[in-house]
Amino acid sequence: MSKGKLGMKQISECVWEIPRAGGMRVPGRIYADDRLMEHISHEKSPEQVANVAHLPGIVSYSLAMPDIHWGYGFPIGGVAATDPEAGGVVSPGGVGYDINCGVRLVATSLTHDDVRERVKDLVAALFSNVPCGIGSHGAIGKLSQRELEEVMVEGAAWAVRRGFGSKGDLERTEEGGRLGGADPSKVSRRAVDRGRDQLGTLGSGNHFLEIGYVDEVYDENAAAAFGLARGGVTLLVHTGSRGLGYQVCDDSLEVMQRAVPRYGILLPDRQLSCAPVESEEGRGYLGAMACAANFAWANRQVIMALAKRAIAGALGSSEEALGLRLVYDVCHNIAKLERHEVRGGTKELCVHRKGATRAFPAGRPEVPEAYAEVGQPVLIPGDMGTHSYVCVGTREAMRETFGSTCHGAGRVLSRAKAKKMAQGRDLREELSGMGVHVMAAGRRTLAEEMPFAYKRVGDVVDVAEKAGIATKVVRLRPVGVVKG
Amino acid sequence: MGRAPDYREIEHTADVGIELEAPDLRTGLERSAAAMFDMICGLDSVGVSWRRRVTVKARSGDIENLLVRWLAELLYLFESERVLLSEFSIERIDERGLEADVAGQRYDPERHAIRVEIKAPTYHDLSIRRAGDGWAIRVIFDT
Repeated sequence: MSKGKLGMKQISECVWEIPRAGGMRVPGRIYADDRLMEHISHEKSPEQVANVAHLPGIVSYSLAMPDIHWGYGFPIGGVAATDPEAGGVVSPGGVGYDINCGVRLVATSLTHDDVRERVKDLVAALFSNVPCGIGSHGAIGKLSQRELEEVMVEGAAWAVRRGFGSKGDLERTEEGGRLGGADPSKVSRRAVDRGRDQLGTLGSGNHFLEIGYVDEVYDENAAAAFGLARGGVTLLVHTGSRGLGYQVCDDSLEVMQRAVPRYGILLPDRQLSCAPVESEEGRGYLGAMACAANFAWANRQVIMALAKRAIAGALGSSEEALGLRLVYDVCHNIAKLERHEVRGGTKELCVHRKGATRAFPAGRPEVPEAYAEVGQPVLIPGDMGTHSYVCVGTREAMRETFGSTCHGAGRVLSRAKAKKMAQGRDLREELSGMGVHVMAAGRRTLAEEMPFAYKRVGDVVDVAEKAGIATKVVRLRPVGVVKG
Repeated sequence: MGRAPDYREIEHTADVGIELEAPDLRTGLERSAAAMFDMICGLDSVGVSWRRRVTVKARSGDIENLLVRWLAELLYLFESERVLLSEFSIERIDERGLEADVAGQRYDPERHAIRVEIKAPTYHDLSIRRAGDGWAIRVIFDT
């Protein structure tokens, strides 16, 4: 069991510490209660937290959020900040293959009662209008090389320029939907080829569109600021940078593996390959990663526009009349240069969040003006058929976790086990019995994505709240899902 | 139609993986490719009407890198050419990498049921080593 081997100690109800040992430069900290730790300690993810602590220039702690599970190199749910001035590194494994996989939330002025009898129509409309599944093409045709370069530099703003949504959407997107420092010259031909006809596509795996409604309000004040009310219908969009992002990660891992011995970096795991932020390789990765991140924001902006049109069309109304508006967009897989308080001063740090969400509090300049008094919305999607949560960032998260919190639930069952459990069951009927209507691209079994294959996101969010690194605002109940 | 090689699916909560044995390295690499596509789609539904000669460069002496680059190249073909691959014949392996003839069929949603979208082979728990008289390979894929 990981606990004993690593000397892990529980230091408060929801925080466990892995003391420094061997080549670890800092201790590790895992945010979990006893129940979550029971799952976590049976897999290798605590060892991965300890491995990340070996990264040169890492500051304070190698952190893991309550939804931590086994990834490659970094655990999913891992957060690590390095100090570039102290030779701190950037590691592509600390971001993941799906660069800027993230989620956005659209609110409406509809109530659940308004759409109760129309859910199947809405899901069908989304399914027809948003390309999804393997091999799906974009709704906007294949981009030229120059157009794709513009997307990689401008991000969501490119999509707005082309008529997908409005400028107001950019204020309600993390980073304004555009990470600076994007360098298309660092993106390979192969990555460009993969991205050119994938803009405006959902992809597959755990990407989805979800119609739901607010079924619980925990913080009336924050909910009002976000424009969310009990019974209000919502749309979640969950997707990332598609083949372009995967290729950038793949290319970068090759470059970093060659860089590691050159910089004399010793790592316990090859998948933690990295280079100093202030090196050619480090800058090259950040430049390429920003391109992929911007592609993902443009992707979510286009998909949101397509989805809004589909919903308005299905209901025979207009987007304005239905009050369709973006609440916020967050990323779950990213590395960013951010200013944080460290040892009594502020420093610019390279913060990796892999399967983790930024959670900044009221008063931070990065929080949109409309939410300045309340804090940044934190979107935590459940998996198909389960609740999702909207939370808000906290000061404690700023102090403890570089302003980070969890991103979702994570699996408890492998696909093989999930398929076994599903044998003989009519899953679509079961989901329908739970009040969720699903349409999925391809003939793939739903078994692997059923709620029973995942941890309960409510448990994860409760722990995040108990630990003070997020505060619940509303809970969303799904009624219709489109799966890639 | 393609035939799935003998392999085991690794139980892994986050992703999917394969383990297999082979009498030699060449066969091991061919079987790894076939197993990957079998996981993606079930080789028994994939015919042969498309062929390509593929060259993969790898870091000298690094067979883990060779395995990962080989599988990544085939995934790239799947995505860029929209072909499912079912036959693999490696013609050359040396310090520089490998050359292979691969064959398969264009992806047709009516004919081919995609079971899982594999994004990339990873180095996580990767193992490619001599075992007894042959070779044993384990690779986990990001999904």
